Amino acid sequence: MPELGRAALVVTLGLAVYALLAGAAAAHLGRRRLAQSAQNALIAAFFTTAIASVVLVAALLRHDFSFTYVARTTSEALPTPYTISAFWGGQEGSLLLWLLVLTGFGAAAVRLNRRWARDLIVWVVPVFAAVATFFSFLVVAVASPFVTQAAPSDGAGMTPSLQNPYMLAHPPLLYLGYVGLTVPFAFALGALLSGRLDERWLIATRRWTLFAWTALGIGQLLGAHWAYVEVGWGGYYAWDPVENAALMPWLVATAFLHSVMIQERRGMLRVWNVLLVILAFSLSLFGTFLTRSGVVNSIHSFTQSSIGPWFLAFIGVTVAVSLGLVFWRLPQLRSPTKLESPISREAAFLYNNLLLLALCLAILWGVVYPMLSEAIRGEAIVLGRSYYDFFLRAFGLPLLLLMGIGPLIAWRRASLRSLATTFRWPTLTALGAGVVLLVLGAGSSVPGLVAYTFAAFVGATIVMEFVRGTRARKALGAASWPGAFSSLMARNRRRYGGYVVHASIVLLAIGVAGSSAFDSVAEAKLSQGQSLAISGYTLVYKSLDERQSANATEIRATLGVSRESDDLGTLEAGKNAYTIEEQVSNEVGIRSDKLTGEDLFVIAEQIYPDGSVIFRVFVKPLVNLIWLAGLVFLLGSLVTLWPDRREQRRLVARAGEVGLPATR
Amino acid sequence: MIALSVAAVLAVFLLYTSIAGGGNPSIAPSALQGRTGDVQLAGRVVGPVSGDAHSGGLRFRLEDIGGTARSRVAVRYTGSVPDLFKAGRHIVIDGRLRNGVFVAEPGSMITKCPSKYAPKQSGDSA
Repeated sequence: MPELGRAALVVTLGLAVYALLAGAAAAHLGRRRLAQSAQNALIAAFFTTAIASVVLVAALLRHDFSFTYVARTTSEALPTPYTISAFWGGQEGSLLLWLLVLTGFGAAAVRLNRRWARDLIVWVVPVFAAVATFFSFLVVAVASPFVTQAAPSDGAGMTPSLQNPYMLAHPPLLYLGYVGLTVPFAFALGALLSGRLDERWLIATRRWTLFAWTALGIGQLLGAHWAYVEVGWGGYYAWDPVENAALMPWLVATAFLHSVMIQERRGMLRVWNVLLVILAFSLSLFGTFLTRSGVVNSIHSFTQSSIGPWFLAFIGVTVAVSLGLVFWRLPQLRSPTKLESPISREAAFLYNNLLLLALCLAILWGVVYPMLSEAIRGEAIVLGRSYYDFFLRAFGLPLLLLMGIGPLIAWRRASLRSLATTFRWPTLTALGAGVVLLVLGAGSSVPGLVAYTFAAFVGATIVMEFVRGTRARKALGAASWPGAFSSLMARNRRRYGGYVVHASIVLLAIGVAGSSAFDSVAEAKLSQGQSLAISGYTLVYKSLDERQSANATEIRATLGVSRESDDLGTLEAGKNAYTIEEQVSNEVGIRSDKLTGEDLFVIAEQIYPDGSVIFRVFVKPLVNLIWLAGLVFLLGSLVTLWPDRREQRRLVARAGEVGLPATR
Repeated sequence: MIALSVAAVLAVFLLYTSIAGGGNPSIAPSALQGRTGDVQLAGRVVGPVSGDAHSGGLRFRLEDIGGTARSRVAVRYTGSVPDLFKAGRHIVIDGRLRNGVFVAEPGSMITKCPSKYAPKQSGDSA
């Protein structure tokens, strides 16, 4: 069986190299049959990778410990779902998953667009093939998942904290996001190589980018929720390099999704868009490099593996080749239109892009600063939490405000008078909310107050847009209000789905501000019967129990919770001591208030033999809005992602008007 | 106008560095000797671990993650202790050297979690 896996990967490498060379030759010489053959090779590479993947999954399910990979990542007793998750649990397997998704996406994207963008596709194929060549080379020669050994009686098993439902979904979603960004990259390079620099590559890849961006976003939120519920330190994001590695491409992709609209509509920002796509793809490679090479101190420590230098080299080649191509095509990338006024939708989108990029670069600087300072000054300087928090406020808050302004401001040129009319109600709402919050005591944190006020402003603009649109539909003859609303959504999914996503970002901002700027914390050593008070809650330490589960000893302290005179029931917090793995894990107690979104979060820091416990208690207002934001984000993304033939036709037609003629 | 925006972003950046200064140097235990300022120390925990992190301080020693350097440093730590802390683990803490003992900032300890990507190493259980 391992031979079949190895052979399948060698064939994949061969197919990828063929698709690269034959595809490039065919595109250069204009040979149609050869181009078709390269395209078929790329599709065949997907199937051979799929065979290799099936071999690995089968080995995992059969607990075949003669596969070194299987023995290292699983054990006989590991439940089946986690045994399957070991496929992406180790380095070799996750590279194989990357290759699988890459060839799958590549084959699908090429087939779906081959008719209406043939001249573009012939150059897209070799770009996909180049990336696939790199990854298949890695799994063939550097980090093969099919290395065998004399089978041990049992495998090493999986770390307990990773035996968790979140870990079934979080890593593959991030992978879908990272790899998904290859599609716009390949099409952008295809456009540069072929010289077909009109808007078609954007139209062909819009949904792919959206999909990758959605997967990255949801994947990160799942990771944050996992950290919050399972890791138990009272937070959900720590600006760790590995977390930042996923956030950076997401920010760049967000910028791209916005600037694309400007190019589609006005033919502007062509160079900028190509650069954003190159940056997003390079950052997703850089993220993988970071997590694998161990060059920075991270909470997630990874083995120092041999693939680090390969990745660095590939990133270098990618950036150099891409920038070289952009430079070569610079004359053709000139926009036919210019920015007319600093107060216009184009300008608002441009500010949004600059802020997103600035935030991303500030984070990138923070991530690489230890390496740079080590290289230059001989010692690594680490930029802490305050660095990132500062830039999140400096760039994030204006971004939040722009989210309300951008979609409502007129194209080309907006007059100040029209702005006053458009934004009268949102501004009044925001000011009103600000005053009310100030009275309620939110003045304790200025950034928090600003975030809330801006959130109220954006929220008001979104509500206004929906009300206005629904009214217009009703006036045009929709039978009922719900009917008017659904026809509004159906007729312009992209716009109204976008508003739903904006609403989710508003929720996210409120949740983050509430839980980080207005939280409170208390710590006390309590004996049984003693109590602790925090922000209106009273916690009484009632009892300590020990129970035995299948693989761990579970110690739990029970606390009675009340607020003012209301009895809110009990909460358990404690520790699990895992017998085989010799590990202890905190099991936090969380009480979520469904009405206010507030969490009471209890950690049993230390449990003494005499039964006294040091409790650390957080009250985190509105933190549940963050998770709600995830659901709303998914909903909004699905609305925009939903296939819409009418819109696609409209875009294709418009591409013909704005740029070079579209050949079909 | 793009130039103006870029300039504004750079100004914010400069503003930050002038207010907050740089970050802390991150060093290995062997490089700690003779340093007086705040640093971030990354190393491997060496037992025995004694004391109480919530009264008087948890005491242990740290050595270089490479492990060849013999210069271990004594550490006193107070505050919350991550689940995964034990002898042999790699940790990162902030603090400064006082009278030959590295006194850590309360609650600054981070353990590197044995990740799903890391194969189990035989030396880990030391």
